[in-house]
Amino acid sequence: MIELDDRTRAIQRRAREWARELKPLALELDGDPDAIYRHLDVAIVSYLTRMPVPPRHNPDPVVIDGHRFYGTGTLERVVFAEEVAVGDAGMLLAAPGPVMSGVLVDSLGDERQKEWFYSRILQRPTWTFFALTEPARGSDAGAMETTLAPDGDGYVLNGRKRYIGNAARADIGVVFARTRPGPLGVTAVLAETSDPGFTAEPLETIGLRGLRITNVTLDRVRISAGNVLGQHLRPTQRGMWSAVQGLNRLRPGVAAFGLGIARSAYEYVRENRPGLPLRDRERLDDLGRRITGVRQLIWRAALAVDAARPSAGYEASAAKAKASRLAEDATMEALGFFGAGARLEHPLLDKLARDARAVEFMEGTGNIQKLNLFTGLLQGRLHRG
Amino acid sequence: MTSLETPDTETVTGTWRRLRGLARGAGVVPALTALRTAVCPEALPCGPAGHALVPEDIAETFDHGWADGSGAPRAADREDRLTEIAVSGGVLVALRRRDEAPVDVHRAPVRAWTLGLAWVRLGLSEQMLDTCMTYLRGRVTGAGTLLNQQMVKGSLAEVAIEHLEIETMMDGALPGDLDIAATVHLHAQITRADRMLLRLLGAYGFLADGPGQVAWVSELLADVYVGPPAEGGPR
Ligand SMILES: Cc1cc2nc3c(=O)[nH]c(=O)nc-3n(C[C@H](O)[C@H](O)[C@H](O)COP(=O)(O)OP(=O)(O)OC[C@H]3O[C@@H](n4cnc5c(N)ncnc54)[C@H](O)[C@@H]3O)c2cc1C
Repeated sequence: MIELDDRTRAIQRRAREWARELKPLALELDGDPDAIYRHLDVAIVSYLTRMPVPPRHNPDPVVIDGHRFYGTGTLERVVFAEEVAVGDAGMLLAAPGPVMSGVLVDSLGDERQKEWFYSRILQRPTWTFFALTEPARGSDAGAMETTLAPDGDGYVLNGRKRYIGNAARADIGVVFARTRPGPLGVTAVLAETSDPGFTAEPLETIGLRGLRITNVTLDRVRISAGNVLGQHLRPTQRGMWSAVQGLNRLRPGVAAFGLGIARSAYEYVRENRPGLPLRDRERLDDLGRRITGVRQLIWRAALAVDAARPSAGYEASAAKAKASRLAEDATMEALGFFGAGARLEHPLLDKLARDARAVEFMEGTGNIQKLNLFTGLLQGRLHRG
Repeated sequence: MTSLETPDTETVTGTWRRLRGLARGAGVVPALTALRTAVCPEALPCGPAGHALVPEDIAETFDHGWADGSGAPRAADREDRLTEIAVSGGVLVALRRRDEAPVDVHRAPVRAWTLGLAWVRLGLSEQMLDTCMTYLRGRVTGAGTLLNQQMVKGSLAEVAIEHLEIETMMDGALPGDLDIAATVHLHAQITRADRMLLRLLGAYGFLADGPGQVAWVSELLADVYVGPPAEGGPR
């Protein structure tokens, strides 16, 4: 079993306290995604607004019990994400902050780009987006069709992206596009949503409504040469490779909020169905054991990412595949403890069951995770003891 | 639609088949309307805990609703309108009747409703399977379509196996032939098949309309009328 150190325990305790503030807001945000604008001063939201910003660019980290936090460690992020998602996964995703694009800028940006990006983030609450998926290219994002073509002293972006979180609220973000055929022909650029030709229209979803995923249209959006990421790196380290590396780092976090959704449902049953008959109690205890197991798997993947172990991406796939199924199962099972009409009488549980469905797709579906894991297994790169 | 008050296997089978076809082809509103005409022409069908989830005109038409023994008069001050859901083909209304004795799940019309509802939900699940095949056939990956990926084929086959088993279990069954636990089990099985399809539909199945909503509404119907699946059986 993996045990947390004192530093990580400190952020776990604090996140747990903060997350209590979110529960009463969860249904409000589900009913009205714009409610996020009314809750920017909620402690957890203002923490997320500044996380992750690496020490070099963040003179003012969050200090908890004497420990400094920049949100850059994967283990601390998954521990934090689980607790916040127990409060409300919708709010976790709706919050402003660097999130996914931050990870990309951190690994692909040059000093000037980082300075520009992080100073925007630290100035005021700023939403960001990460645009990889396209209408015709989801799991097979490497075959994307959006183009980045030279135009005068810069470039021009053309194409469409779909299911992009927060893009309608965001100021800045990362867009992936193709400069030429093949996997090395993919490039990431920094884009501003105020640029002419950039439009993002919200899509209504069945759950995680706070996130506001969108359809993005890129109609001759001009990108200055200075906004192309990774130019100082070798070509093999720029495009899809960087997306994959970035997603490897982020995937344990997605797994953690699946875990948080599951735990939220589990705790709801414990709080609202005291005195369960023995058989039901055993069933609930078993769910608790499944939650513990998946948490260990996620922590293991997070530690692998932090240690830059070659197996990290595969372990992250294992954690994500398991956590998305757990989220679905736990929320459905939780409803089973309340009898007929449970979804109408316990709207929070219905919301959890709707939210849980999203975890399967974010940052790669279960099948894609399993195929990735298999590659690791086949090539002997899956770290197994 | 023929009434099921004096059922014989042929009439019932024909009715179920039409309901399932309606659900698959035209959606939840016409299918529920036909189900109500067939099994409870006089009253608002309610679940064991007094909830109803029905097309708007059904919610507004009846002055009686199911309660303990038979129909009990509806009174506005003892009823809450919980939510409205705009679906393709109309609006569904969710209601709660307060202070009524629980619906007796052993009564014939109630059992006919829960079995008929399973046929409706099977039809909706088949509609989702149709949508899913079309979706996957239209998605290109590498040299082929998603429909041709072995993992995808395997999952679709699993759904088809569930559908076959569910259909066989219900085929020829008159209301009351399947005990309550068996009906609850069938509903849970339909939900599981739907969940497999949702995973295959990608983020498209997470949008608020389309197949993602069909699956959610179908789960809500099961929740209201048979209760969510619990290992302890019906409550
Ligand atoms: C809530 C939410 C937020 C999101 N946020 C973002 C975001 O911010 N930015 C972004 O870029 N994207 C985002 N996405 C999109 C997400 O990354 C995609 O949904 C995901 O990659 C899957 O793509 P798809 O939905 O097109 O499914 P498809 O690729 O169409 O997959 C359909 C089915 O086929 C299966 N499949 C696909 N390929 C294979 C294969 N080779 N072998 C076996 N099975 C296969 C899949 O597992 C799935 O079951 C978001 C999605 C959701 C639901």
